Amino acid sequence: MIVSRNWLKEYVDLPMTVDELTDRLTLTGLNLEGTEEVGNDVAIDLEVTSNRPDCLGHIGVAREIAVLWNQELKRPALDLPTSDSHATDLTSVDVRCPELCPRYTARVIRGVKIGPSPAWLSDRLKSLGIAVINNVVDISNYVMMECGQPLHTFDFAKLAGKKIVVRKSQPGEKFTAINHQEYELAEGTCVIADDQRAVALAGVMGGADTEVSESTSDLLIEAADFAPLAVRNTARRHNLQSPSSYRFERGVDPEGIDWASRRCCQLILALAGGELAEGVIDIAEPIEPRPTIKLRFTELPRVLGIEVPPDQVQTILTELGCEETHICDHCIKVIPPSWRADLTREIDLVEEVARIHGYDQIPEDAGVKMVASTRTLRDRVHDQVRGVLVAAGVDEAMTISAVESKWVEVFRPWSEAAPLVVSTPVLRRADCLRQTLAPSLLAARRINETLSNSTIELFEIADVYLPRTGQLPDERRLLGISSGAGFAVVKGVVEALVAAIVPGDKMSATTYDEKFFASGRGSQLGLGGRTLGFLGEVSHWGLEQFGLRSGTTIAEIDLEVLVDSAVPIRTAKPLSPYPPVGRDLNVVLDESVRWADVERIVRANSRDLLESIAYQETYRDAERIGADKKSLLFSLSLRSAQETLTNEQADDVRDRIVAALGKELGGELRA
Amino acid sequence: MALADFLASLDALAQQARDAFATANSADALEAARIEFLGAKSGHLRQVQKGLGSVEKSDKPAAGKRFNEIKGLMEQAFETAQERLAGRVRESASEPFDVTLPGQTVRVGHLHPITQTIREMKDIMGRLGFTAVEGPEIEDDWHNFEALNIPLSHPARDPLDNFYLATAEKGCQDEKPLLLRSQTSTVQIRVMEKTAPPVRIISLGRVYRPDTADATHYPMFHQIEGLLIDRGVTMADLKSVLRLFCQSYFGGDDQVHVRFRPSFFPFTEPSVEVDMNWQGGWMEMGGAGMVDPNVLRAVGYDPEEVTGFAFGLGVERICMRQHGITDIRALYQNDVRFLSQF
Repeated sequence: MIVSRNWLKEYVDLPMTVDELTDRLTLTGLNLEGTEEVGNDVAIDLEVTSNRPDCLGHIGVAREIAVLWNQELKRPALDLPTSDSHATDLTSVDVRCPELCPRYTARVIRGVKIGPSPAWLSDRLKSLGIAVINNVVDISNYVMMECGQPLHTFDFAKLAGKKIVVRKSQPGEKFTAINHQEYELAEGTCVIADDQRAVALAGVMGGADTEVSESTSDLLIEAADFAPLAVRNTARRHNLQSPSSYRFERGVDPEGIDWASRRCCQLILALAGGELAEGVIDIAEPIEPRPTIKLRFTELPRVLGIEVPPDQVQTILTELGCEETHICDHCIKVIPPSWRADLTREIDLVEEVARIHGYDQIPEDAGVKMVASTRTLRDRVHDQVRGVLVAAGVDEAMTISAVESKWVEVFRPWSEAAPLVVSTPVLRRADCLRQTLAPSLLAARRINETLSNSTIELFEIADVYLPRTGQLPDERRLLGISSGAGFAVVKGVVEALVAAIVPGDKMSATTYDEKFFASGRGSQLGLGGRTLGFLGEVSHWGLEQFGLRSGTTIAEIDLEVLVDSAVPIRTAKPLSPYPPVGRDLNVVLDESVRWADVERIVRANSRDLLESIAYQETYRDAERIGADKKSLLFSLSLRSAQETLTNEQADDVRDRIVAALGKELGGELRA
Repeated sequence: MALADFLASLDALAQQARDAFATANSADALEAARIEFLGAKSGHLRQVQKGLGSVEKSDKPAAGKRFNEIKGLMEQAFETAQERLAGRVRESASEPFDVTLPGQTVRVGHLHPITQTIREMKDIMGRLGFTAVEGPEIEDDWHNFEALNIPLSHPARDPLDNFYLATAEKGCQDEKPLLLRSQTSTVQIRVMEKTAPPVRIISLGRVYRPDTADATHYPMFHQIEGLLIDRGVTMADLKSVLRLFCQSYFGGDDQVHVRFRPSFFPFTEPSVEVDMNWQGGWMEMGGAGMVDPNVLRAVGYDPEEVTGFAFGLGVERICMRQHGITDIRALYQNDVRFLSQF
């Protein structure tokens, strides 16, 4: 809302500088957006919150200033001449949709002379940046900017049947607005019509057919109230936001409508001449009586933390226009003014007192009670995960939660259900809520490839959205990794992660055949009998889907599984004082034998002396060890808690292991 | 003795000796290990050497060669351990050494700046007694609007201002469409529904609003919201907590002050915008207010019994200001050169 300083002076004295004025207004509810000098005037742009439509006119802003500086608010006096003709004889108003139009008033002025507005009026409109048209149109804009009530003036002669019908639009009905564009109206739009056609979009914009022009001599002046939601829908649907719709959307003063109509007529008679027909056509739903609100003085310290003296409370509320009906030691009762529909409850009055009394009165050093806070296990685990990944050289990415529909089918290990779809894409074509982080990370990877970044190591911790019928979706927090390294490196990172969070528990891996992963190089990971996640090198097909040039390994981990099995508090175990003894083994096995089985057998046959087993390498040579054979090289570290192991003891363990590998897997020591 | 066995025992011995020397943590321990393995009379190596005699004659050259290699390795490991224990490093004038050569690169990843901002905020609020909670990003009408005192006619519900899920996915409540939450206040409702006062939490996470992406807008962003409900909570408490937060986050040695400007939010009354003094002016921090009695009633609290405050801060704005990031889209583009700056 832009206000003109010169215009404000009409209603309230301004003994302060513009800076003083705007500083105080900013701290009491009218936030300064900016000021601009226009001629000898200053245009002051104030942000008006949606609960304060009363400040969408100069009088409303002047009232705030009057309260703050203890000045008198001067409203223009209205005095209209009498006439022999009656409005009811000249026209009629038929409101067929009172739910969309709770009040409609019409007055008629005949014999006006259309011409330019006087300088004082056009200057004020120019200060506000409003285009100057002619005296009648300018006056209706002027009165709107004065009191916040939108008005419309029709060329009365062009109203077919000399009547007004307020109704809902018919299917396919067309309307040409004063911007001379034709609109096909959405069905049920509230229109102002005459006998034949829509002549205005109620509360939004007038029509070209009946607009006031140089040839106009008779006027019908509309001042009405339209349902906020309907006006908003009309303005949005037809993309026709106007100062009028802006005000109706926020609600007008139901008791200020007639004042605005008479004020408009007064100015037209003074500046454009003509004769005002006696009376008004006023079709109105009964206005609900405003409630009496009680404010207990104890509520002020209870909510604000400060005392405000009762006489000051009384002054603030009555100056704001409330009607005092009772005051005693304990409370004050008031009826709020008609222009303050936002005041209905005790807490609303507390806010009024607080903002006028001044929020600067509230201290910022209250002794807030001290309490213990806790960090959730989830938070701790997520932080641990981040710590491990950063230490492993992976950068944290953040990607948007929706993906294009074509990416949904590429990889979907967590859900087979159709994805949740947003009615408007979150970004570009992304309208499917993702069920895996992999596509988003691969898209981020592509961006980095495009930027010629050589090392692209990314992880993200975010939710995926797995649909469930009849309830909110399963939002699962996943960790996604996309690395330029191979399977073993990424698996090592995931193993480190598991070791850091769930010490002692071992992650399992099984082959996971999936088009997205290179053949044989995808795996499903398990922990404690649950699916921990998926890990694999992306196939050529998978890379192609994202236009990637270089290979990548993807891992996706269900962090809830880690949280559920996390061991946040560790227990110390006694350490053996005796030295370890190492043994290296080199065992030839069939190609089909899996390391997991070798390790299992080693552990089962180590007489509790195995401290660690470390895989070293796999060696293949068809000529030396045979086709379909491989040689696994690994090291054992043996240690006893009771004694220093002798070489014989260590050899014995090794021999047992070799024997078991031979028996169960057909393994042989390589000579 | 077969050559293979001889060699295997040599290898095992070398490994044991290396381990023993490497783990010796005193001169005495090292000397004991030396005697054990390299002792001239009865060291292990001496014992093994005796076995050399029983190796097949044809294998002797190979066995002898390997024995000498192993002996050398063991002696070298001993010397290395000696130097380590003496605190000495290799000193050799004949071996050129350039200290200005770069060290071996250790690649360390970087946390996203948003994560770092959130972590700092959580830490500070945690010290002030607020426990961090999270909630679903896909919400129903009740938690995103109704319970927050946003009635059906309120503009905040406009389809153009929210990401509603397509009509096929209906919520369990009244068949009203689900949506991507437009604020993290939804989590406050969920916590209050389950918890009797006092409540002292911060909720944080992703929120969604249909803005066209530009330098200052993105359809997804992060919010952090604080909530304190108890008997006797006042706006003075709100102002004080926010001042302490700002002091911790931005203050350093400077004295930080906050100020309130009246504002309007459906779920708080009174509602204010919060500014803090910053470089001679005032910097907008976010919105706040006293929890509206309608919200307290919606979760089954008695507004006559308890009061509370809530505040919300935009994470991106604070993060961008602190790190000098001028385009919000950079946060979500994931250019590794960008990420590696933080």
